[in-house]
Amino acid sequence: MIKKIWKAEIIVPVLFILIDILCFILSRVSTGFLVEQVSVRFIRNGVLVLSLILPVVAGMGLNFCVTVGAMAAQAAYIISLNHNLYGGPGVLAVFVMTIIFNLIIGFVLGKIMNLVKGKEMVTSIVIGSLSNYLYQLIFIAGYGTILPVHNENIILKNGVGVESMVDLKTYKEFFNSFGSVKVAQIPISIFLIFMVFLLAFGMFYLLHTPFGKQVQVMGYDEKKAQTLGIPIDRYRIYVMIASSVLAGIGQFIYLQNIGTLNTYTEHLNVDTFSCAALLVGGASIRRANVKNAMVGVLIMHTLFVVSSIAGQNLFANTALGEYFRSFVVYGIITFALIMNLRIENKKRMTG
Amino acid sequence: MIRKNLRLPQLIIAGFMLCLFATAHMLGFNMKTLISTSFTKFAMNGVMVLAMIPMLKAGAGLNFGLPIGIISGLVGMCLSIQLRLSGMGGFFCALLFTLPVALFFGFLYALILDHVKGKEDIAAIFIGYSVIPLMDFFWTVAPFTNREMLYPIGGSGLRPKISLENYFGSVLDNLWSFELAGLTIPTGLLLFYSLIALLLFLFFKTRTGEAMEALGQNEDFCYLAGIPVKKIRHLAIILSTLIGGVGIIVYAQSYGFVELYNGPSGFAFPAVSSIIIGGYIGKESGVFQAMLGTYLYQTIYLLSSPIANAVLIPELSEITRMIVTNGIILYAFLQQNRRKHD
Amino acid sequence: MTPFLETKNLSKSFGSTDALSNLNLSIHRGEILGVVGANGSGKTTLMNILFGNSIISETGGYTGEIYIDGEKVEIPSSADAIRLGLGMVHQEFMLIPEMSVEENVTMGKEASSSLFHKKNHALGWLNQTKNQAFCKKTMESLGMDIPPKTPVKFLSITLRQFVEIAREISRNPLRLLLLDEPTAALNYEDSLLLLQTLRELAGRGVSILFCSHRLQEICRICDRVIVLRDGKQVDEYTGQEMRPDRMAKAMIGHTIRTVHKTASSSSGETILQFSDYQVAMPADELRGLNLSVLRGEILGISSLSGGGKSAVGYGLMGMFPSSGRVQFHGEEISSFSATKLMRQGILLLPDDRKQQGILADKSVTDNIVFTAFHAGARFQKRAAGLFFVKDKKAASAYASQMISRLQIKCSSPEQPSGELSGGNQQKVCIARTSAMNPEVLFVYEPTRGVDVEAKEKILELLVRMNKEEQTTIVMISSELDELVRVCDRIAVLCEGTLSAILPPDATEEAFGLAYAGEWTHD
Repeated sequence: MIKKIWKAEIIVPVLFILIDILCFILSRVSTGFLVEQVSVRFIRNGVLVLSLILPVVAGMGLNFCVTVGAMAAQAAYIISLNHNLYGGPGVLAVFVMTIIFNLIIGFVLGKIMNLVKGKEMVTSIVIGSLSNYLYQLIFIAGYGTILPVHNENIILKNGVGVESMVDLKTYKEFFNSFGSVKVAQIPISIFLIFMVFLLAFGMFYLLHTPFGKQVQVMGYDEKKAQTLGIPIDRYRIYVMIASSVLAGIGQFIYLQNIGTLNTYTEHLNVDTFSCAALLVGGASIRRANVKNAMVGVLIMHTLFVVSSIAGQNLFANTALGEYFRSFVVYGIITFALIMNLRIENKKRMTG
Repeated sequence: MIRKNLRLPQLIIAGFMLCLFATAHMLGFNMKTLISTSFTKFAMNGVMVLAMIPMLKAGAGLNFGLPIGIISGLVGMCLSIQLRLSGMGGFFCALLFTLPVALFFGFLYALILDHVKGKEDIAAIFIGYSVIPLMDFFWTVAPFTNREMLYPIGGSGLRPKISLENYFGSVLDNLWSFELAGLTIPTGLLLFYSLIALLLFLFFKTRTGEAMEALGQNEDFCYLAGIPVKKIRHLAIILSTLIGGVGIIVYAQSYGFVELYNGPSGFAFPAVSSIIIGGYIGKESGVFQAMLGTYLYQTIYLLSSPIANAVLIPELSEITRMIVTNGIILYAFLQQNRRKHD
Repeated sequence: MTPFLETKNLSKSFGSTDALSNLNLSIHRGEILGVVGANGSGKTTLMNILFGNSIISETGGYTGEIYIDGEKVEIPSSADAIRLGLGMVHQEFMLIPEMSVEENVTMGKEASSSLFHKKNHALGWLNQTKNQAFCKKTMESLGMDIPPKTPVKFLSITLRQFVEIAREISRNPLRLLLLDEPTAALNYEDSLLLLQTLRELAGRGVSILFCSHRLQEICRICDRVIVLRDGKQVDEYTGQEMRPDRMAKAMIGHTIRTVHKTASSSSGETILQFSDYQVAMPADELRGLNLSVLRGEILGISSLSGGGKSAVGYGLMGMFPSSGRVQFHGEEISSFSATKLMRQGILLLPDDRKQQGILADKSVTDNIVFTAFHAGARFQKRAAGLFFVKDKKAASAYASQMISRLQIKCSSPEQPSGELSGGNQQKVCIARTSAMNPEVLFVYEPTRGVDVEAKEKILELLVRMNKEEQTTIVMISSELDELVRVCDRIAVLCEGTLSAILPPDATEEAFGLAYAGEWTHD
């Protein structure tokens, strides 16, 4: 069993790298194009995947609630725009709001997760979905009716509801003014690249502190952790807070780099995509580390860039590539769930 | 029994429904049409909610894997359309073709769920999600030849929305339907729905059905009492899949279209939510609860949409529906946990 | 001098049963106090209370007071216990197998360094070198030399036991060490090594509470021993008074000798034969049992908790993985499945009635006929000539007959069985098995949680079943009292193997020694 887990950690990434290579050859895109595309996406998406590590390590499984963190970041952008905060002060306001919202969200999620022990994952899916509609309720029906509008530009013609596409150029420009590198004609702020690596290191650091160790113990066996004197309920709340805050920062970085916000769709599938990336990197729903996250993001984005082109070249049908992509995303999560739950269930056999 | 099961969620939902009725009345909607549509909606969605029951009773969790059953139904209908079968014959052939597909898919589904005992919910959600893109391949490459099923221009494979107008659209709805005081009663649809519900109800009176119910209450007890636990569990999952398949056929004939591709993805959460509203939280998950839940759930949805249009935010109806759907499921999870601690 | 730890009227009950009542205990600095007792004596409960195990608070907490250094303290969680200087070596190791020896030993006291925080802060960077040196030093003090990076899952049970001990003795400050069967996994030499370490610890002023069923060991190491029985302290020995035979006798107490069973109906022929039978049941492992069950007898099986008695029947029913040979009527049982064994006539009544023995939501009638209806094809009829449904008339006739015969107290046969008292639920279980008329019946703890009156009735029913229907009964129980009253023979297990087979009239001392695995043929 030990060997099996170790193997899975290597086999899954290797298998997907092979698929990547195959798709790359079939897609006939240039290496330069691929590298550029993937590195842009890596910077945009990396932090979101990092945010999943702690809940996995703590034994709470894949945290599909990262969408909530992402929505909080989007809300922060919209609120900031609505109050006509642009440039530097705007960015600061967005950042501070993202953090504050997510501290609160993380705390509430932690409390809820403590109520549904053993069912964290399915609960997080439902919460993610519920929040999506609450978010829509606020921004479609709230603005212009209950919430005051200070910036007509972001509101729909009839005066109620936020536009489905919001321009964030002002923030993007602010970041790029610190200096930026151009990758694939897309300028990326050096400051942001620095931030992504800082957060990756921060997560790595956190896993190598006594706190990180104790969270791991919790993930292996909650009862034992409690008997060993680890305050599990409190730690689970910390874990959810850290995860939400990171998810918020992740979406914050992503949006400012994109420069526009699809108000109602930007956060959709953030959760499943990030989870799949983490798993493709060799993580399981019980163990994960920074390396898994980083490797996973690279593999997953490569696949996303090349698979639809490969599908088109091979079958003259883009749709097949798309189906393959979504099958990979959901399939890898299903596979990981089944494999892990199977091992857990083996401890007791009936029938 | 009914009194015992009318708990907070049902009361809130029923209250909400009455509010909506009142609002609709004040806004001057045609109440008769609304009520008669509410019956159609109730029966057309009802069978899919019944698909929750065998798995719930057998202790295999909420059937979030409903898309698997739905896909079997879609395959059955596509075969029937391919053979250009229309009317009642087309409808029943679709049911017939669904049977082997559902048995096969259901069995595979059951084998997978064996590995995730106790956490079927989360696994089923993702099994459902992953079969959809897999079936998308099938819809694209399957060698169907009926022109009315294929993409008219551009794109290969089946079209996302196949009209049933020339086949078996509304065959149940129109069967023996009559007007009563201005209300259209879809007799055939209601009868068919009642028939399925009755069969399911009677099934749980048989020895196998009773064993299934006992299995959900106490698996260890059943095992020690010599019940072939695994077989019964498989049977429950297959049965759920089959009913799901029948459910989508009933739905499609009423709706008038077969929705392929991402069509099956939107049914699981509402169905789960319906049975929870009906009384699953109160630990009962019988046919009656499923029917009650479906009626409350569908009527809310039905009523909220014209009202939302009236206040000029048309999205509001879908948003409210989904907030209710997810809120109810979340409530059930929180409640389940509280019961465990009692 | 005030003792380090003192308890006053410490009591704890689970539901209606008292696990511990009015215990007054004191441990001085540097003292090694032995605690012995049979099952349900309150040993484990005592330890759980002192170490703040969550099971105590989840079941309503304890009453009474605990004083440390003369000051009243509350210990709501293990974290609080550790803060007060307590450490505990658990019988079921609290080790994380996937982690290394170093990570396990340093758990909760990891050395770390940080620019911003003071030393060893929870958010400092783990200091690998320091931690490994610490682990190495601790293990060496126990006479073990294991590379600190070895994952614990690769270690033998013996080494794991030492890692478990190392984690606790290296706590700082450590003022009281609780040990729950720390030598169960050790051989003689290793346990000597451990005892020596404990002596050294005690020499440094650490108080030690030592629970063990190895009475010899207790005598060798302890300064003082208390004997618990049924949650009460029944005896206390110091110095020369500590003798295994005396302690064994005190542990068991006086057994009541109103033997129900008059003559053995056993034919002497073997019906079930276990050979080198092993069952991997967590916390109650069976490590190679050789035992024959004779046709028509009532065989008792007993052991201390963790001794392996529960694994016998549950393993046979396929609830846990097992190996070895079991022959039924001389034929080897090929697959351990409840469904198949039931068809051959072997039935099991579990000890956890609420979880496994009854369908709480179903009526008394449904429960009584359940097994016979579903597995025995009784009480059924065909509906529409096709489907089997329950023959309600036959079922309720049989149920009423059983209700009056076994004197099951219920408001009506339709009352949900979960509402009945424990004793009546057990009667329902027995009625359920009677309907199957099994050849061999395994019955677990038949009188647990049952009042005195019902207890007599249940034992009587079992004896009657044995006599009238020639059912061979294997009764698995920790209540020696009732075993000696109804059984023909009593097999005592210890550490997963057969320790002795004793006749019901054997002395208390013999039973005590057999429980401890120290009984020898004279």
